[in-house]
Amino acid sequence: MYLVANVNVEICASKSCKLCTQYCPEANTIQYSEEMGKEQGFKYGSAYIAVDRCKGCALCVWVCDSLAKNNAIKMTMIDQLPKAALTDNITYGDKSTTAVLASPMVG
Amino acid sequence: MSLDYVKFSNGFERFMPKEYRDMVEHGPFGKKVTVSQMGSFKEALEEHPMCAGCAMTLFIRLAIIAFPNPEDTITVGTAGCGRLAISQAAIPFVYGNYGDQNGVASGLSRGLRLRFGDKPKDVVVMAGDGGTADIGFQQVLHSWFRKERFTTIMLDNEVYGNTGGQESGMTNRGAVLKMAPLGKKFEKMDMLQMAKVAGCAYVATVVPNNPRRVESVIKKAVLIAREVGSTYIQAYTSCNIEYAIPTDKVMEDAKTVENDRYQFTEYVSEEAKQYLAERYGYKEFLPKPAAAIPNKA
Repeated sequence: MYLVANVNVEICASKSCKLCTQYCPEANTIQYSEEMGKEQGFKYGSAYIAVDRCKGCALCVWVCDSLAKNNAIKMTMIDQLPKAALTDNITYGDKSTTAVLASPMVG
Repeated sequence: MSLDYVKFSNGFERFMPKEYRDMVEHGPFGKKVTVSQMGSFKEALEEHPMCAGCAMTLFIRLAIIAFPNPEDTITVGTAGCGRLAISQAAIPFVYGNYGDQNGVASGLSRGLRLRFGDKPKDVVVMAGDGGTADIGFQQVLHSWFRKERFTTIMLDNEVYGNTGGQESGMTNRGAVLKMAPLGKKFEKMDMLQMAKVAGCAYVATVVPNNPRRVESVIKKAVLIAREVGSTYIQAYTSCNIEYAIPTDKVMEDAKTVENDRYQFTEYVSEEAKQYLAERYGYKEFLPKPAAAIPNKA
């Protein structure tokens, strides 16, 4: 068994700082879902972990505790997670805008 | 080297793995993604074999998101930890022999200009402190003196982390490492001054504990390298294995080092300031209107 990060949706959905998504060294591992918090009646969405990509470094725990002061992320044994967000379950909320700058050269 | 390289071949869509489908449907190509949107789009970087909690990986992840046109970018690397992650991105990666990454990038950037003319194709070199300041030093400096138009990023972990902890030119004086038990006897090399002397148009230091700053620094460096000249970014990316930093304290260490010896510095040449302001609307580099300049009398 090994430890992975686990986000407390109740705390995360009431703060929604998104800092952990910017500090995780693994790509596509801490995801943000608009629906996850709202469907439970909270104001914002929540971050969640793709556990099959998490290497268990606990960097996000430090970010959540010391930087954001929310204490929403805890390291948990993988077999004790209620619902594991595996890579197959990830959905992307595509909100990015279309780029125009590709070749701004004139003439 | 165009948006066409990330799409499905006809009839193969349902056979492609989930990661590839996500990349085509929700990837950063052809869009303008920013650090604040992280977690809601599929990143070009995929799973990689680097150590848990590695600050270098975080920097590479942020750098790849910050590329202004990921579909028109080629990364060049060399031996060292960084290449393990850079090569796992959906961006073409050229693996130079040890030390010749800036030579390879020089030829590549000139060739792309011949082939594509005015259409911007970015070349970004990402190499470790050993690859840039020790083994590749001669080619790095010469590419700067020749004002080759590409970005050089040093991933400075202050040690040869990939080979067991030998001291590098960028290691601090007195640092005791596994393969340098007596401590380093010389000062850390001042690559920033060297870059300025060699004529780089943009020189900056950055620490990954400020993701938005990493993003803005890399964007500026890549844009300036398109037309003005060489650009150099030196990033502190600690090695938590060789310097025995607990993984959850990596950002705390980055913060300490930032306050100690890695304060954010940025040098932009006058030509580059004008270019950024006129071409890309960077307001902070616009000449100040006369009324804003306080009258000394």
